[in-house]
Amino acid sequence: MLQLERVNVHYGATRVLWDVSMEVGAGEIVAIMGPNGSGKSTVLKAAMGLKKPSSGVVRLDGEELQARSATVRPQRGMSIVLERRRLFPRMSVEENVMLGAYTRKTAEARETYRWVLDLLPEIKPHLNATAGKLSGGQQQMVAIARGLMANPRVLLMDEPFLGLSPAMVKTVCSIMQMINERGVAILFNEQNAKLSFAMSHRGYLLESGRVVLSGSGEDMLDHPEVRRVYLGMREEAA
Amino acid sequence: MSSTQFIELVLNGLITGSIYALVGSGIALVYGTTRVLNFAHGELMMLAGYGVLLFSVTLGWPVLLAALATILLVMLLGAIIQRVTIAPLMKREDWAFNVVAVTIGLSIFLQSAAQLIWGEQFQGVPYFFSGVAVIGDVRMPWQRIAILLVALAVMGLCALVLFRTRLGRIIRATAQDAEAALAVGIPSGLVHTAVFSISAALAGTGAILLSPLVTVSPWMGASYLLKGFAVVILGGLGSFGGAVAAGFLLGLIESFSVSFVSSEWSNVVAFVFLIAVIWVRPEGLFAGRGA
Repeated sequence: MLQLERVNVHYGATRVLWDVSMEVGAGEIVAIMGPNGSGKSTVLKAAMGLKKPSSGVVRLDGEELQARSATVRPQRGMSIVLERRRLFPRMSVEENVMLGAYTRKTAEARETYRWVLDLLPEIKPHLNATAGKLSGGQQQMVAIARGLMANPRVLLMDEPFLGLSPAMVKTVCSIMQMINERGVAILFNEQNAKLSFAMSHRGYLLESGRVVLSGSGEDMLDHPEVRRVYLGMREEAA
Repeated sequence: MSSTQFIELVLNGLITGSIYALVGSGIALVYGTTRVLNFAHGELMMLAGYGVLLFSVTLGWPVLLAALATILLVMLLGAIIQRVTIAPLMKREDWAFNVVAVTIGLSIFLQSAAQLIWGEQFQGVPYFFSGVAVIGDVRMPWQRIAILLVALAVMGLCALVLFRTRLGRIIRATAQDAEAALAVGIPSGLVHTAVFSISAALAGTGAILLSPLVTVSPWMGASYLLKGFAVVILGGLGSFGGAVAAGFLLGLIESFSVSFVSSEWSNVVAFVFLIAVIWVRPEGLFAGRGA
């Protein structure tokens, strides 16, 4: 479905992604895990067209998109929930959510809007509120709702748990599962290895802009390197 | 001071302020949406002055048609300036200073081009409206009243577009977070071009309204650019409504300072007020109410 092939990204003269290749299949949840500055967000931005790769291929259902503008992605079935929500802070919650369907026809958007409100009833009481005045958790719900309004087949989520309370992290996890159960593939990034790989079908470990490990969620959690470095576990002596 | 004098001062302040508001709100709209301070904004005013001179005086078109043609012309010029000079620079990481340098260069280029094409003489445009309005004991030429009324109508229309239309919604979204807007499919680059066009239309309207009262010359826009920047700072950087309110406030301050101090000192009083505001409230009087 979504494929990144040998993607390289530079910020000025600094190379931040080195031949990154990844794949998200239909209906999968795929996690990108890695420490701060490893390039996780850049992978999502390159996939979404918000950061143009210096080389490599971004393909969605066989169509090469790396040279196309980001505005094309929502029409092709890809949308993103940006890091730290990035709502339009002085606009209402309803305006924020509806802007997620900018590329769609009004009738289709209205139908999706009803579906989104059923999926995320927590935002219903706040539809007329100014988005920037909501709590972090409420803002994350609105950001997810905005991302879903494009009716995506693959939803990218940049650090969806950042700054949320443990209870809200659980809520967002269950919302991600619900979205996935409705056939939407999810590619997300996260610094917490346990959280990332426990809920994903597959995962990638990114270090210094390079994919150093990949596998199923279970395999990633069981990998000695992940256990030692990212889960702080010592291997039992033989 | 008699009540007649007071009403005259207020009216004069509002009339001058409406021009400042038109110029300032255009600069604020561009800055609020694109983070570009357009130093060539005054030259768009100047070109509109020559536009109305060409259409209404040289070609003898009816005033309304001449005004409409002038506004369309400066809107097109605003769009071309944005697409050709500013948009390519904004794709680079270090665009902020480069864009300032380019708009200053553009301002000098347009002023020099106007001198070469139209010469250095000051040219007059006849009054669009004749007669004098009488409000109680106050007598005011309709031409001056029209400035206030047209400016209010144009800024009202602009506010209506910004806050009640789909175009306005996408402009506000781009202003608040251009990358997030791009992520939902809004073509931020085209929005930036549209905003430059609207801003040019606001400057053009100001120039058209002013041209019968001041003369048209290559330097016509320079002093208004300075006032426009003052208005943008007073109103809170990037706030459309703030710039409109600050424009009227600055006009009133100047009007009253002409009466209580002298016309030579009115600019000094206005800029002392600006400095005092920056000292006490650096974010501007109406910050946080951006487009």
